[in-house]
Amino acid sequence: MAAPLPSIPRALSSPHSILPSPVLLRPQSLPLHRRQTPGSAVSAAFQWNRKPQLAGETPRVVVVTSGKGGVGKTTTTANIGISLARFGFYVVAVDADAGLRNLDLLLGLENRVNYTAVEVLNGDCRLDQALVRDRRYPSLELLCISKPRSKLPLGFGAKALTWVVDALRSRPSSAPQFVLIDCPAGIDAGFITAIAPANEAVLVTTPDITALRDADRVTGLLECDGIRDIKMIVNRVRTDLIRGEDMMSVLDVQEMLGLALLGVIPEDSEVIKSTNRGYPLVLNKPPTVAGLAFEQAAWRLVEQDTMTAVMVEEEPKKKGFFSFFGG
Amino acid sequence: MTSTTKAFSFLPFQSIFPQVISIRDVKGWNLKTPQSFRLGSRWLGHTRGESRPLILVRASGDALDSSGDSERAGDGTPVEEEGNRLDLERKLGSLREMVNSLPPVVIVIKRNSGSKFAIALCVAFAFLVIATRQIMLKRKNHYQGSVADLVRRGQLRSDRRGISKPLKCDDPFHNPFIKFGKGDSRIEMFGKVYRLAPVTLTKEQQSVHQKRRSRAYQWKRPTIFLKEGDPIPPDVDPETVRWIPANHPFATTASDIDEDVAQHNVYQKHGVPFRVKAEHEALQRKLESLQSEQKLNEVALDLNNIRDFERPFKSSMKPQDLEPNSSANQQNGHLTLKSDEETGTSDSESLSDELKKY
Repeated sequence: MAAPLPSIPRALSSPHSILPSPVLLRPQSLPLHRRQTPGSAVSAAFQWNRKPQLAGETPRVVVVTSGKGGVGKTTTTANIGISLARFGFYVVAVDADAGLRNLDLLLGLENRVNYTAVEVLNGDCRLDQALVRDRRYPSLELLCISKPRSKLPLGFGAKALTWVVDALRSRPSSAPQFVLIDCPAGIDAGFITAIAPANEAVLVTTPDITALRDADRVTGLLECDGIRDIKMIVNRVRTDLIRGEDMMSVLDVQEMLGLALLGVIPEDSEVIKSTNRGYPLVLNKPPTVAGLAFEQAAWRLVEQDTMTAVMVEEEPKKKGFFSFFGG
Repeated sequence: MTSTTKAFSFLPFQSIFPQVISIRDVKGWNLKTPQSFRLGSRWLGHTRGESRPLILVRASGDALDSSGDSERAGDGTPVEEEGNRLDLERKLGSLREMVNSLPPVVIVIKRNSGSKFAIALCVAFAFLVIATRQIMLKRKNHYQGSVADLVRRGQLRSDRRGISKPLKCDDPFHNPFIKFGKGDSRIEMFGKVYRLAPVTLTKEQQSVHQKRRSRAYQWKRPTIFLKEGDPIPPDVDPETVRWIPANHPFATTASDIDEDVAQHNVYQKHGVPFRVKAEHEALQRKLESLQSEQKLNEVALDLNNIRDFERPFKSSMKPQDLEPNSSANQQNGHLTLKSDEETGTSDSESLSDELKKY
């Protein structure tokens, strides 16, 4: 059974660490965040002993990209989006893959997508009619760019997404605090469309050389485009292979890319199961190791924090005779 | 040493206890060994009456003599057979003693009737607990009907229902499955031990990477997408042009959407969407035109019917005058009808006025 990620002891904690600062370690009975929005009802349904403190200017438009396909962008977008909604923030998740959309599958909303951004542009529906609200977490809404059979005009794509984000921002009652954009693979028209309205980026990569090279290229393009706040999530980490020196460690990855760490997600078979069920990983009870890691990454994203220590698997300590008795 | 002692050399055996053992030779019960010891075991005591197990031993050490062994080898065959037989007898005897030492099962059960009662009581209690738990679980689920499954599947909101309790969300940084090592940075999770390694990336290293990438990757965001072969507009930066191959599916997409209209559609917050409204209006116009055509057809039919009835009512006019007048009227009627048809107006009052003239 996969184990959840730990938090570091207080002795090693710092304001920008796996754990928040020691001040925040004290359990606080924060008042529930009540708004006259769909999220308020959800907030009332949850009891948190503490919540993350939102940093930065809202709405925070975050693009989740990687360059290489299959590293876990959509999984990351879905799980972080659900985590943010559970924290009580109003989130709009945008699937910017015009040809091959998948975010609706991971969220379990595939049967409810009737209108997309293309229909909004054509005038077939309004923007609020194209947003699909998750009934489990009403503060999360999904917007798909287009259906597989329809195509977004190329000259339009970047402008269209920028108008969409701007229109969401200008909504009087339910302006989102986070807009997560699931970027398609590659650095082509879809990538250009997805990064157009973003002002920060989450780069998802795996500890293999092909993904790292593509990630480095994408990082360079993002920086050329003016996006400087780029954080990294290293996905599908196998601590046993790292210990056997068959896989690059997270520190090696960071040394190659030179990016701050937002999260480290261990390899977990529950990811596939959650994809099949349409039930994001972070909702599992008891939590899985990858689900807990996603929640922690979402927490750091909210507080604009980064990791300052990573886990390295070691040989378990040999137990003596008296360990049976608790010694 | 006598030959008998030399004949029975089986085990170099030394007993811990200074006891006397009886040695039997092939001829009889003779105790002729100077060094004799006896094993006093309970096995012997039990079987004393029945058989006498024979333990043929000799003391290790001085008694052993290689020359003696060689002598025994010459005439040792009957001696060996006798020894094997004695071994078997000994083993059988010990087995019988073991069996006889165990009390019969029935006696044991009868003896331990109190513990049997306790065991039965424990089993009955366990069954009772299981049954009670099953009943409690059924009762608990009975209050939640199948609608609870809809809540669980996300079809219905749980916060509106009285059956659901607020979910308690654990802090992801404090988890009961994690055990911290005391005084060190070790963490134990589900049988695996981890060590925390601090991140070593500094701000200087980050800036070095950024400079490297800025030298390696030069890129401007494309704003214009052109098919291969199309000319570049004069006021467009060539670096912002993205060329699409002519056979690419995106190249065949016709952008027939007006940009301004599209922007307006995105920002629309209330009312009917643009295309839906436009289609509705177009449909309305079409229906109106269809209705007007239908009415005109009806009017044309009515006019024909009216002319048939027109002649009997024209009594003031001569028959000779009637014909050219009638033809003229007919022509006039036709002309008016035609003019009405051309204008597309279905004015029943004008028709009735004309009818009144005749």
